[in-house]
Amino acid sequence: MTGGGAAWLARRLVASVAIIFAVVTFVFILIHLAPGKPCGQVGGGEYVDRAVCDQLVKQFGLDKSIPEQYWLYLVALAHGNFGYSFSLHRPVRDAIADTIPFTLQLAGAALVLDFLLGLGLGIYQAVRVNRLPDVVLGNVTLFIYSLPTFWLALLLLLIFGEKLRWFPVGGPNDLIFCPAVDSLYCVADRFWHLVLPASTLGLVGAAGTARFQRAAMLEVATQDFVRTARAKGVPERRVVLRHQLRNALLSFITRFGLAFPFLLTGAVLIETIYAWPGMGRLAFDAILSRDYPLVTATALIASTLVVAGNLLADILLGIADPRLRVRADIGLVLAT
Amino acid sequence: MLRRSLPRLPVSVVLVVAVLALGGCERRGGCTGANCGTLINAAVAEPGTLLPPSSEDIVSNDIGEQLFLKLADVGMSENTLGDEDFQALLAQKWEWDGPLTLVFHLDPRARWQDGRPVTAADVEFTFNAYTDSAVASPYRPKLRRIASVTQRDSLTAVFRFRDRYPEMFYDAVYHMRILPAHLLRPVPRDQWKTAPFGRQPVGDGPYRFVRWQTAQSIELIADSTFFLGRPGIRRLIWRFTPNLQVAVQQVIADQADMREQLVTPENVERARAAKQLAVYPFRGSVFTYLCFNSRAGDDTTQPHPIFADREVRRALTMAVDRASLVKSALGDLGKVPPGPMSSLLGIWDPDIRQLPYDTAQAGRVLTFHGWRDHDGDGIRDKNGQPLAFHILVPTSSVLRRQYARLLQQQFGAIGVHVEIDELEPTVVNQRAATGKFDTVILSRQNDPSPSSGITQSWTRAESGGSNYCRYYSPEFEGLVDRAVTASTRDQARALWRRAMETINADAPGIFLYALENVAAVHKRVENVQLRPDSWAALLRTWRIPPDRLIDRDRVER
Repeated sequence: MTGGGAAWLARRLVASVAIIFAVVTFVFILIHLAPGKPCGQVGGGEYVDRAVCDQLVKQFGLDKSIPEQYWLYLVALAHGNFGYSFSLHRPVRDAIADTIPFTLQLAGAALVLDFLLGLGLGIYQAVRVNRLPDVVLGNVTLFIYSLPTFWLALLLLLIFGEKLRWFPVGGPNDLIFCPAVDSLYCVADRFWHLVLPASTLGLVGAAGTARFQRAAMLEVATQDFVRTARAKGVPERRVVLRHQLRNALLSFITRFGLAFPFLLTGAVLIETIYAWPGMGRLAFDAILSRDYPLVTATALIASTLVVAGNLLADILLGIADPRLRVRADIGLVLAT
Repeated sequence: MLRRSLPRLPVSVVLVVAVLALGGCERRGGCTGANCGTLINAAVAEPGTLLPPSSEDIVSNDIGEQLFLKLADVGMSENTLGDEDFQALLAQKWEWDGPLTLVFHLDPRARWQDGRPVTAADVEFTFNAYTDSAVASPYRPKLRRIASVTQRDSLTAVFRFRDRYPEMFYDAVYHMRILPAHLLRPVPRDQWKTAPFGRQPVGDGPYRFVRWQTAQSIELIADSTFFLGRPGIRRLIWRFTPNLQVAVQQVIADQADMREQLVTPENVERARAAKQLAVYPFRGSVFTYLCFNSRAGDDTTQPHPIFADREVRRALTMAVDRASLVKSALGDLGKVPPGPMSSLLGIWDPDIRQLPYDTAQAGRVLTFHGWRDHDGDGIRDKNGQPLAFHILVPTSSVLRRQYARLLQQQFGAIGVHVEIDELEPTVVNQRAATGKFDTVILSRQNDPSPSSGITQSWTRAESGGSNYCRYYSPEFEGLVDRAVTASTRDQARALWRRAMETINADAPGIFLYALENVAAVHKRVENVQLRPDSWAALLRTWRIPPDRLIDRDRVER
């Protein structure tokens, strides 16, 4: 990496930390200002004795002012302590450590499906532009893209889970045969349980990716270097995959960076509908039960993932497009 | 050449097919005897802790039934008066040593699952823990009439009461699950809620704790040496789902074996249509009501401008056709409660006098008390104040939101304007507790005794606590006090009836519906007994005959 590139990366890292800090601060203040107490609702029942509630509030220091609580939180965070979850009765770190692998598995599987399928469809449509397959696929992808994610999830669950019984109705594994992923069979079982939730997230994403990719491919198709390649007699397959696709990947990489927020927010819904024990469901439950440390910690992790995803996308863009790399070297762009 | 002639399948397709094929395979296990079997319960909430004094949520109570024994427990009759209907558990027998002293003799066969015997020291320790303010147990108020618990010898525990009343035995045994003193004594009491023991408990019940997978499941395994007899089903799993519909779907799709409450008529129909399921109706423990706040929402020291007036409350109650509402919203799954009670309570009696449904009379009462439509806008008013209020309802309850709209229509028919505030349950609870509402639709769960629940929710002793309507009636409280201390069941029943008629006449709320439970259980399970106050109390007696075992029953791990 050149000096300019390193400086750019350093600036981006500082900006990323500032963004994460701002998100955590914002979420911390917002959740504390929201009406309702942490012991307002418990699982299964509805009301907690007020004396018990007051004692909990005191025990966890929630009777202190918000700035005081915030300062204590930052001090604890600086020591690597995410705090204690009052709804789960366990350290926040443990709760997140238990759930984040599930979210990453779900988001990872959905991302793979999104980009493989989306990329393939986008290329296929661009090659057959304005012909029947392109028109049909265009309408189908638009239809899927416009579907609410939760509705698609419920539909797939009803058809393939309850009616046809091809796939499990929720949960990450077979509780009897595979309580832990400790064999090839259980790895397969995990994939088996991932099919519906990952498909729900991935299909909607793929529909969007396909539309973006088609447009990018068509834009590149009119460029001089593509016409030149064809004029030189380069085989069509090579023209599409080498010349056209490679240059159309820039929008694909940009979309990769944007996919992280979509996947993480989508995960909240999908994890709830499919009983997937991930961080999205954890965050949702934490908000409902006003579990302040857990809400703030999940926001911290989620914002870190989103910022890291975008940073990675920017780096990949720089690698993929030499023009951007040169401009980064002289410090003109990519600073945002 | 050969490679070229083969169809070129992408590696990813091959992998997916292989994974799907492998995933679709079934495994066969080896257990074939009478005590095999796995029961997966689709639960809609995950407990915070399994340490009994620190938690009162329903799922932790269900699991607690399997892990920690009480000294004795109520029978299927749910009679809480006297001791004749109680079933012995940890206590082999008991006797009264004078009017205020109850002596329990522990079963010498009882053992903690680490091999230590259960002793009277554990009973004494348990009482001290439950009543210690540092533990902040929600059961503490229910034990206030027990003065002390001591040990006479290693197998004899002595309870001394402050006064004599019919439910002394019930109070002694129902609220406490006996805890292992040798494991919990070293844990500081103010840290019990967060103690590791709560996530990895060691009990003395029919099942042992195996594992807790956060947001997924809790698994228990039968203790084959359990002193009251080996449980019929070998493995119990509580599978946590985020909501009722997912839970019901899992049972219908045969990926769970039971769901103890189906809640809606649609779910019951779906369960009936599933060929592998049997449905079991049983009495419910929950009732729901519209609570009129008798104090002003913005200043709770002042009377509410509308609901402080008993006659207005009565008129509004008469304007609601509760029977039709129950029929349209719940079908056979609900009843109109004859007072603030669920059908679990022995004092339930449909003949208890209630205000009739009579919209004409309701209108006349309002008119008589000055609430007329003076300005012709269709809404009654008095001294310039319209007869209008808000109904607070939690977004989490479809049924209660539906009821809010139905009530809005019915009040509208007599010239009362209603606005509905749908808010998060946490916010609803906070506003209800602090009195910042006009009316709120609340649900309550009864334990088998009317004494604790009714006293807590409807008397001034608990005003500002869970008496969210801020109802105060010296006559009602006098009747409740006498009913709680009545010496015979018949006397108590008559007094409770009078108390219920008094509260019905005062109308501090409209008692909308009492839910009837329907459970769905896999047909291969036999001897399904569901005790209304705690469906899981008799789970150890359920069984799956060897000829009905399926793969998940046989698997050995």
